[in-house]
Amino acid sequence: MKETSPIYPKAFIPYGTWGSSWFPAWHTSALAEVDIARFAAEAMAYIMGKRNVPISELEYLVSGSTIPWLYKFWNSPYLSHCLGHRLPGFHIEQACATGLQIIAKAAAHLQGGAQDVVGVLAFDKTSNSPAGVFPNQGTYRRTEVLSDIWDNFGYDPATGQQGFNQATGETAMIACAGRTSRKYKLDFKEVAELSCHRYQQYFEAKDTGILNKTMVPMQVLDVRGKKLGMVDDDYGVRRYASLDQFLTERQLDTCVAAGGQTHASDGMATLLVTTEEKARELSPEPDISIQFIASAEDRAQAGYMSESPVLAVGKLFAKTGFSVKDMVAIYDHNPFAVTDVVFAKSFDCDWHDMNNTGCPMIYGHPQGPTLVRATIEALEHAVTKGGGYVLVFGCAAGDVGIAGIFKVTDNRGGK
Amino acid sequence: MKQMRQTTLQTLGLGSVLDIFQNGKLPVNESELVDKVFGAAGSRGSLVISGGNGIVGSGKAMQLGARLHQYNVPIVTIDLPDAPDGIGQHYPGLKASFGAKQANEIMASIIKLNYDGANLPTELGMFKPRFLLEAIPEILSLKKSHYDMMWKSFPEVEIRSVTSGFPNSELGVGVLHPSFPHQINKIWEVVEKEPSDITKLFWALGLIPVPVGDYWSFILDVLFCGITLAAIRFHRASNMPFWKIDKFVRRLVGPNPIRAHDAIGPGASFLTWSCLHHLAEMYGELFRPIPELVRRKESGENWYSSNRPTVDWELNDEEAFKSWMWGPLFQMTSLMLLENRAPLAHMNAIGELCAQFTNGILATIRGFGADKVINRVEAYHKLHPEASKTCWYPEVFQQMDSPEWQQLYVNAEHDGKVGVVTISRESLNWDVINELDRAVDWLKAEGISRVILTGDFHLSTQMVGADTTEFFPALEDENAGFNVASSWARTARRFHDEFDVSVGFINGKRCLGGMMELMMHCHYIVSLDNAQLGMPEVTLPVVPGMEGCHWALRKADPADYPRMIELLLTGKFTRATNATGWLIDYAAPMEDALQKVWQIVTGGDNGLPLRKVNAAAITVPKDVSGLPPASVPAIEAGRKAIMDCIQASCGVPLSQALEIQAKHSAGFMVTKACQNGQIGSNAKKIMDV
Repeated sequence: MKETSPIYPKAFIPYGTWGSSWFPAWHTSALAEVDIARFAAEAMAYIMGKRNVPISELEYLVSGSTIPWLYKFWNSPYLSHCLGHRLPGFHIEQACATGLQIIAKAAAHLQGGAQDVVGVLAFDKTSNSPAGVFPNQGTYRRTEVLSDIWDNFGYDPATGQQGFNQATGETAMIACAGRTSRKYKLDFKEVAELSCHRYQQYFEAKDTGILNKTMVPMQVLDVRGKKLGMVDDDYGVRRYASLDQFLTERQLDTCVAAGGQTHASDGMATLLVTTEEKARELSPEPDISIQFIASAEDRAQAGYMSESPVLAVGKLFAKTGFSVKDMVAIYDHNPFAVTDVVFAKSFDCDWHDMNNTGCPMIYGHPQGPTLVRATIEALEHAVTKGGGYVLVFGCAAGDVGIAGIFKVTDNRGGK
Repeated sequence: MKQMRQTTLQTLGLGSVLDIFQNGKLPVNESELVDKVFGAAGSRGSLVISGGNGIVGSGKAMQLGARLHQYNVPIVTIDLPDAPDGIGQHYPGLKASFGAKQANEIMASIIKLNYDGANLPTELGMFKPRFLLEAIPEILSLKKSHYDMMWKSFPEVEIRSVTSGFPNSELGVGVLHPSFPHQINKIWEVVEKEPSDITKLFWALGLIPVPVGDYWSFILDVLFCGITLAAIRFHRASNMPFWKIDKFVRRLVGPNPIRAHDAIGPGASFLTWSCLHHLAEMYGELFRPIPELVRRKESGENWYSSNRPTVDWELNDEEAFKSWMWGPLFQMTSLMLLENRAPLAHMNAIGELCAQFTNGILATIRGFGADKVINRVEAYHKLHPEASKTCWYPEVFQQMDSPEWQQLYVNAEHDGKVGVVTISRESLNWDVINELDRAVDWLKAEGISRVILTGDFHLSTQMVGADTTEFFPALEDENAGFNVASSWARTARRFHDEFDVSVGFINGKRCLGGMMELMMHCHYIVSLDNAQLGMPEVTLPVVPGMEGCHWALRKADPADYPRMIELLLTGKFTRATNATGWLIDYAAPMEDALQKVWQIVTGGDNGLPLRKVNAAAITVPKDVSGLPPASVPAIEAGRKAIMDCIQASCGVPLSQALEIQAKHSAGFMVTKACQNGQIGSNAKKIMDV
């Protein structure tokens, strides 16, 4: 395996100590009815329990989410109270980059040496998001009311694009995808083929049961402690019958149709970042080593969000000396199929061999935990391949791209 | 006189139960003991409770004040000036129990004084302290200096500590360790070299002093702190939140140990830590407090989150959970048995009466048998290897065939002619039934044909009926219901069939349901005149299974049938004095009743006709006029089922009635009316977690 100098030489992820809830589409499950932050914290303890990791092993908690939740002011210390083990820690948000960003920040914190076991917890609920009232903001309306999810999806105040029109959504994220498609001269047929392939990958993985290694079904309770419902599937994922269905869908913007874009959903995901020694101690498979090598971020031109991962990955490759060919698994947060086609075009790679077990375009997009789930699935896929380097990347609101590389070594006889 | 085992009463220096009947009176007199402890009327001294505003001190001020105010014994509470008023908050409860007039009288006998902790209030001398019940914080040096301060001013004062853990050898004073909730729980663990007048007075006042050995944390707090520690250790191993662990512990053992800490208050975590800390210092890692407890000891933080939980948990490994729970409890019990911390009946009862154990720890161990118990502890040691290194004594479980192990709830004594069988559990369960059978076997083998069946005058102060947790399997399985009803009824019949004379004596404040059915089978029933009697099954609803639907009717005059049927169909209680002649044979105050029992059982002229059981089919009315309407449909269904059972079991000869009654009882238990009733709801709450 090619070698490089890791940016985070101390940061390891204990294999198999991770987990994610399923991501039911908004308003399709009991998650729509509960405080997602408390659910996520309790779910983290539950998942760690399933993985035989006592939460008393945790020394620090880095959490992330993007939609305001009850008691958010208290952030990670409150979340760790909810999971049953009082920890120091902090909370960050960076739209859809949040998941990978908190892994990077956990790695950086571990690198600092103050703690040896850092918990990473990300979550979001797109159902029933709160609305904020902002008085005297210097706008003509004086008092602005913002519905945290949908208004932000529909309006990026930092694009600076001509023709800005909040009402028509001209600077909405979907417009970013269309604009990038035009820049890269994408062919809708290819985009539709990619969309179709991504669905096939997801359902094939699901049917083999491989997702059960990472996804953890959970029973949600109501305020009386009664069973409210089981969250045991990515509810709301449509099953397409043929490529024709994708090809005949109406384009909402250039190369953006319903089958080629993600949907809002609810969920959480968690993993641990530890020292090498601790990772070996906590993992059920101590001979599998996962090291966080490096991460990078970049920002595309205004209104070209779908291009931003290309910039971030390019920066990461330049820094590490790697190329796509060195990667055994490539997973990304792809709110639009356009993202993957642009990436493949830019790095001259085959988009068929990405996101082998699913991706957010299919299973949904609760923002905060999306890239944690993608990372977990990517690492799990790399283990099935015998190890190697793993590239995870994604775009985020504000035309930001983020990317990270992990090294998976399987000393049980893998690469 | 011969006994199956020592009576628990003898551990208080109060003789045997047989002595009570032979002497026709109780072994001690309450007012004489008040005089001995507090001085004669006119020069009465006081009971001083230090830490009187605390949860223990204030609760005990209420409990003892309610009993001593009639003797004009002042209760003086002393506490720090900034201690929040603990006494006043009990007033509503006192008023609810005794009415405003008596509650005011009790409160009037309580004098609240403040002090600075280092100097006694000067007014205290006016009240002539005779007995100090110390309830100050669990800090040894503080307690000892408190005693010195008290003795310096009042050298003659008797002192007892309510300590949870410090033995007499450390404190230098006797121990009276009470159990929660303090204003109503009557149990006190007692440590003293010989039973004192204070201990005997407590017994005479209707409290339950239980002598235990002078060892760290005695018995209650080994069990209670032990199961708390086990539950927290399971949390540490599994991440399961405390609220859910409590549910599984409740299902397996009985208590909600962690919730109990929050209910008692922040001081509970400190007490638990203190007990475990000292036990660990003495006995090792089995008892070592873990960080979750240390944290709460220091912060006073609640165990349960203020948030309602959102994620449900299941047991991934039921066997591992059992090992985490039973393992340390069995190991701790091996230590207590090795040290002989108390007579086994005491040790067994304390868990049930004070720590909400569904079954006593020794009864549980006996039920499993030595091999399974040892295997369970060894499985626990695999999960918690440090525990294997200290205080594990498996050999103590090899003596389970002894009468002390076999008769945890039921004892028997005889004087060569008359036997007495005593029950020390308030509710009937399989353990009690099996022990009753062994007691009857023993008396028969000893050639005894005259017997008294009664409570033990100590641990059991009433007979509340069947332990309905034993019915849980019967809610789904009719055969299980039939087995309970028919087996228990057969045991009850032995008191009718296998003795020339049997006398049931109701010596407590109530006798209900299954216990009433048990007593019915005696040839005679004598009761304290103020006892409440009843058959409340219909309120649950269930159909009585131990022949309650026909046995008493077969003994009653047909003119009394409506009263008996009304008792069954309404579930209302009746005072013993109102039940004479149709349900029982005699009701009187204690000494009169004791003497009557002895007259009957010894064959003396007692003036009571024997109400024989009619073995032929009898005809009873199919309805009772003037019955109030049933409050809910389930009770209506229960009434109908009970009436059906009355008709069916009375309408056949006695030889067939037992089976018919058991079938009706079992058949009703699998109906929706029963499954959705109180027993079904309890079963769901406890078992379906």
